[in-house]
Amino acid sequence: MLTSGSAESAFGLAAQADRSQMVAGSEDQILVTGANGFIGSWVVRNLLARGFTKIRCLTRAASGSANLDRIRAEFGASSLEVISGNLLSREACARVAEGMAVVYHLAAGVEKTFPGCFLNSAVTTRNLLDAVIAAGTVRRFVNISSLAVHSNAQLRRGAALDETCPIDTQLVERYDPYAYGKAKQDEIVREYGRLHGLPYVIVRPGITFGPGKARIPGRVGIDTFGVFLHLGLGNRMPLTYVENCAEAIVLAGLTPGIEGEELNVVDDDLPRSREFLRRYKRMVRRIWTIPVPYSLFYLFNFAWEKYSAWSGGQLPPVFNRRICKAYYKGQSFSNQKVKALLGWCPRVAMSEALDRFCAYAQERVVKA
Amino acid sequence: MIRAAIVGCGKMADQHAVQIQKISGAKLVAVCDVEPLMAKQIAERFRVPAWFTDVDEMLASARPDVVHVTTPPQSHLEIGKRSFEAGASAYIEKPFTLNTADAEELIDVANRKGVKLTAGHNGQFTHAMNQMRRLASDGFLGGRVVHMESLYCYELGDPAYAKALLGDSDHWARKLPGSLLQNIISHGVARIAEFMTGENIVVSAQAFPSPFLQEIGQSDIIDELRLIIRDENATTAVFTFSSQISPTLHQFRLYGIKRSLVVDDDHQIVLRLNNKEYKSYMRFFVPPVTFAGQYVRNLARNVGRFVRNDFHLPNEAGLLTLISSFYKSVEDGAPLPIPYREILLTSRIMDAAFEQIRVDRQERPIQSLSLDPRAADPVPVEASRVTKGRPIT
Repeated sequence: MLTSGSAESAFGLAAQADRSQMVAGSEDQILVTGANGFIGSWVVRNLLARGFTKIRCLTRAASGSANLDRIRAEFGASSLEVISGNLLSREACARVAEGMAVVYHLAAGVEKTFPGCFLNSAVTTRNLLDAVIAAGTVRRFVNISSLAVHSNAQLRRGAALDETCPIDTQLVERYDPYAYGKAKQDEIVREYGRLHGLPYVIVRPGITFGPGKARIPGRVGIDTFGVFLHLGLGNRMPLTYVENCAEAIVLAGLTPGIEGEELNVVDDDLPRSREFLRRYKRMVRRIWTIPVPYSLFYLFNFAWEKYSAWSGGQLPPVFNRRICKAYYKGQSFSNQKVKALLGWCPRVAMSEALDRFCAYAQERVVKA
Repeated sequence: MIRAAIVGCGKMADQHAVQIQKISGAKLVAVCDVEPLMAKQIAERFRVPAWFTDVDEMLASARPDVVHVTTPPQSHLEIGKRSFEAGASAYIEKPFTLNTADAEELIDVANRKGVKLTAGHNGQFTHAMNQMRRLASDGFLGGRVVHMESLYCYELGDPAYAKALLGDSDHWARKLPGSLLQNIISHGVARIAEFMTGENIVVSAQAFPSPFLQEIGQSDIIDELRLIIRDENATTAVFTFSSQISPTLHQFRLYGIKRSLVVDDDHQIVLRLNNKEYKSYMRFFVPPVTFAGQYVRNLARNVGRFVRNDFHLPNEAGLLTLISSFYKSVEDGAPLPIPYREILLTSRIMDAAFEQIRVDRQERPIQSLSLDPRAADPVPVEASRVTKGRPIT
């Protein structure tokens, strides 16, 4: 079992300048929604390592609590209170929000449809926020969004995509239900900030990767008909290793004076898509890949989009120019703001993070 | 011009909105959901001029000709009745109502108010089903229908997905009289109801949770159902619902007195089973060639439709056909796409099946099926249970 001090040292957490000024202390109550998820479970680990002793974890009944069970075994944590519930229930929201000082809202709807994503991102967030406002105890609400909500339509290839870029207002035309749900969720959080004085911070992770997720990120390419179409080529991948990302999220909930800020989280030394793929092939498995130049893929998206419209949706517009630009045009990414405001620095270097991911993916391949 | 409105702005509402917008002479004028965010989001995405959170307000303000009810079935009766009272016809998603009594009440109110209704059995209107219907009405079967087989499968996916899907005991589908089955089987049962000619139907049900569900601790859910159905005219049918059959099949077989038809709805194929005698060994050589010819003609038909932008996925194509036909019936007085008799018969068959399941589970709660192959016959089959049938009148 790890004590908080030894855990902190084991996790190599950056010492905070002055803990007394933090938004919450170790005795304050913290709520983590989506706590059993990929990022959520690392947020819980990070909080435990920082010595927080009253962490309420909300999980969906159907998703179980396997990750949290492992954490409990690891930390011997009596500090965790695991509650199973659905944020679509206002009663469940009221129950979990009561007495909380900081809320980390990671629960998200990952579905294929617009109404599904909207329901499980926007409506659930509204329910939780109503409960948070009614509870009246929350000093920081950390809303986890996604880098995908930004628009890069006006950016040149290679230009920096950062917090100054606008939010995409054409996510329906982009046929991107997940980003649509997240953008609407963010709108609601901002509205509650404006109308109810909600002290919020919005965190937008890039592609979160690490042990627990073995798949090659979609920005690298698409695995279809037994062939991997390599679409990312020389593009930088906006990766953030799950432990690093979790630490940024935790700090967003604790760092004073950043209410209303919106922070993009990506790691340092972002690899290019072909570097990522090369390492994957070397360490995980050989796959047959076909490089597809951006201009060719853009043309394909254009043709698909036109056919979809002309045929009355006989093929849904899953490929279209907007989504092609958003994910494959190729931008650079900045983490200056998140570093400046949170004092955050990715603890796990990119090379090490990629090795850990590949080792996990390789293990999965062997098991399969 | 048909002025359409949708009540219930979840996933099904999206599918309806897409199809309504394809119909010339129809306009989606309003959407409504008790959850304002859901109503607003669909209105924004489909550029619907008005959204509401109150059905009565929507009916009074938007004055739709047709209301599409895509809420959970627990509210179908109430919303349907309110729509009829306001002078609107209604397309009510499946499962149509909680039970036959509610279905009868809805039809009664619609008749009294001089409006129309239909049930969301779009599975009956895929291209393949339409072709089968045309062949049957053109006399291909050579007389009456003797027997039907309706196979309707559902894929639960991997254990984690199935657990997530089934694990929420608060989900509205779990609270239906027929639980999850009621939400899924109506497409397959409606196909049988269409060709049943009698009124006195006897239904025998065998139902149980699959070993897969038992393994993941969901043995209170039934995902395997077999029905034997018979009417007083000696027309019989077998309905099979399974989450375990692979591949996930959706087929319908219509056996006539002279010839028969097979519909493979997954691949939009219709096969004619002709009654032709061949001499000696020729019966092993000629029919495969004629079947190959039929498959080629099915391919040509599907490709032709695709090229003409008239194919679409089966459920979408069925939905468009059903909505269009219903609008035509409302607007021009054309016959209803689904006669009320069929809607009621579908409901009665399902009621009878669920009642048998309920009584059987009371009499003999589901035992845990042993998955150990060494275990001897884990659930003894009683002869009486096989032959037992309950007439529904």
